Amino acid sequence: MAQYNTITPEVAAQLHAAVGEGRFFLREEVDPNYSHDEMPIYGKRLPEAAVDVETTEEVSAIMKICAANRIPVTCRGAGTGLVGGCVPLAGGLVLCTKRMNKILEYDMDNLVVRLQPGVLLKDLAADAQKHGLMYPPDPGEKTATVGGNISTNAGGMRAVKYGVTRDYVLALTVVLADGRVIELGKSVSKTSSGYSLLHLMIGSEGTLGIITEMTLKLIPNPVCDVSCLVPFRTVDDCIRFVPKIKLAKLDPQSIEFMDADIVTSSAAFTGNPIFPERVKNEDVGASVLVTFTGYDEEELDQKMIRLGEIAKEAGALDVLVVATSANKKSAWAARSSFLTAIEADTKLIDEMDVVVPVDKIPAFLIYIRALGDEVGIRIRNFGHAGDGNLHIYCCSNELEEDEFKRRVKIIMDRAYTKCAELEGQVSGEHSIGHAKMVYLRESVGEDVFDLMRQIKAVFDPDNILNPGKVCDSSVTM
Amino acid sequence: MLNILVCVKQIPDVDLVKMDPETGNLIRTGVPTLTNPLDLNALEAAVQLKERYGGAITLITMGPPMAESTLRECLAVGGDEAVLITGRPFGGADTLSTSYTIVKAAERFGPFDLIFCGKESLDGATGQMASQLAERFDAAQISCCLSIEEVKDGRIRATRALESGRELVEAKLPCLVTVEKDNYYGRLPNLEAYLAAKKAPIVTCTENNIEGLDLQKIGVPGSGTIVPKIYPPELPEPGQMIRTGSVKTDVGRLLELLAEKGTL
Repeated sequence: MAQYNTITPEVAAQLHAAVGEGRFFLREEVDPNYSHDEMPIYGKRLPEAAVDVETTEEVSAIMKICAANRIPVTCRGAGTGLVGGCVPLAGGLVLCTKRMNKILEYDMDNLVVRLQPGVLLKDLAADAQKHGLMYPPDPGEKTATVGGNISTNAGGMRAVKYGVTRDYVLALTVVLADGRVIELGKSVSKTSSGYSLLHLMIGSEGTLGIITEMTLKLIPNPVCDVSCLVPFRTVDDCIRFVPKIKLAKLDPQSIEFMDADIVTSSAAFTGNPIFPERVKNEDVGASVLVTFTGYDEEELDQKMIRLGEIAKEAGALDVLVVATSANKKSAWAARSSFLTAIEADTKLIDEMDVVVPVDKIPAFLIYIRALGDEVGIRIRNFGHAGDGNLHIYCCSNELEEDEFKRRVKIIMDRAYTKCAELEGQVSGEHSIGHAKMVYLRESVGEDVFDLMRQIKAVFDPDNILNPGKVCDSSVTM
Repeated sequence: MLNILVCVKQIPDVDLVKMDPETGNLIRTGVPTLTNPLDLNALEAAVQLKERYGGAITLITMGPPMAESTLRECLAVGGDEAVLITGRPFGGADTLSTSYTIVKAAERFGPFDLIFCGKESLDGATGQMASQLAERFDAAQISCCLSIEEVKDGRIRATRALESGRELVEAKLPCLVTVEKDNYYGRLPNLEAYLAAKKAPIVTCTENNIEGLDLQKIGVPGSGTIVPKIYPPELPEPGQMIRTGSVKTDVGRLLELLAEKGTL
């Protein structure tokens, strides 16, 4: 186990001086929220100190101090993670980037934007739109920082058409564990220039370096969009419809899956029953929300007509159109509230974010529902059906926490094994943190896991960057 | 079989409208429009009645030509016929002349058993139209309707929301109903209806083709009110947030401020 030092008054003074007044917090001054992310069930731990940084130079100075004194550093954005990724397991210092929230410049000739890591996703999306541009990655959590999105390679609803965060990162400024500042990548659309450390940094969850500036690719904003809600009697029918949408060459922007339970919870939570629970006098078992983008209405109408044809063949109850701005706002507000709605009516919650081949979704969902019934845990699920990424929530209002954790472990162990059998991966977009490390290890095998550890050691030989995460089991809760 | 009229209005997205601080005018240029959400609740109530008892729904609106998109939106979720009253002479109308114009234009599609309105529009928010229309249609009125229990033998029974409870009321037809949103959340259109509504004919009424229209009762001449000035409400001074991150510094600053104000 790595040996770390505590923050002495001398080190505290150096850290304080590095950021200036009002941005260094010691012990009881540290915001208690810095002890956890959105999944406190994976454990909380307060750091000894925290800094709110504003510049690359400050981050570099902080890292030099921490490297010299062997102080562990956990980087944190908005704290909206779901795998305990920003929990400072080894104590030490939390370095928060939320004040690095400036969009620095747009290059309208090359359609790129340069920004700081603490910019919120919703702010980047809105600002890009003002420039007639779109930042395609669209994770459900709009109050996450873009830096956090890059650190976890977040995906989101539009991944079906546009890909994930990784596909839009052109360049990063990164502060290494010893305080050196490096530039990775350039504003170019292709590269064949040695190992891509840029792509190694993306999704590395603050374990290899601290991202302090990003250059991201944007695209022209599509002129129009429309969504169709396609309800089915059963989950199985609904999921079997998903590959048919893709095979029909309709090129949807997103295909979101929602079962009846989550629709009911969301409607109760938001007071917004836009997704019907009954259609044509029949109960809806599950629905998909399919979104198309395009450059004129006629193009979208043709896509909807084709969707209607294949939906009918697939036994859909109907095809409902979300076309007005008010309905779009309501539909996406309801969709974006799914997790919050689950959290609001659940005392104990745990989740998995598996990704399986699209045609294996029904098999996985049927398995997990039966498993939930067998073990006595309520299962809620929704997800990005178009790319096989499922968000499965284990919920309970009745069980004591220890019993809940015992039962959930049974579910997780068996579900990840099933996921591996179906050729899936542990996480589609939420990452590993410390909560999913054991499953990552099982999934990738010892050789690959060991390579990951060796890579980590190259970047961070003293293991001071976010210890206990991804592939480092030397520090635990 | 019920003959139902639903009055709808296209409004600017009120979240996006700003006021010109110099002139007090509302800046509507470039602001997206939407169908008054409360009208969609009224339409849903009407559609549910049509599904239950059979009949037809005529939609009517007054506004610029682009208000046609509101009518098409409403046709897609259950309207059968749509009437757009448009033309420069109607501009600047207050509720008095608007209600007169709507009733005159609707005459040729009537008589109506039921007339539905949203309880108010989110832009003007006078809440006056429904009562004026009821008067002009010589209809009873049920306001704040939570649910319609039954329409039978020329009468309607409905539950109204009161400040301290509910009441069940009955009225003779014709009756005008304003609807609360609680039980009548607007539905999504299905694809076939959505596509059909895009191509559906819209009846356009102008000052030239509304029978018996008195031009002195429409637009500005027919309005009983004038708006001499629009101005934003005076807001209290915004509060000041002290949050340096250090409790000690925060408290010190607070004490300084209180001392400056003479409170301490």
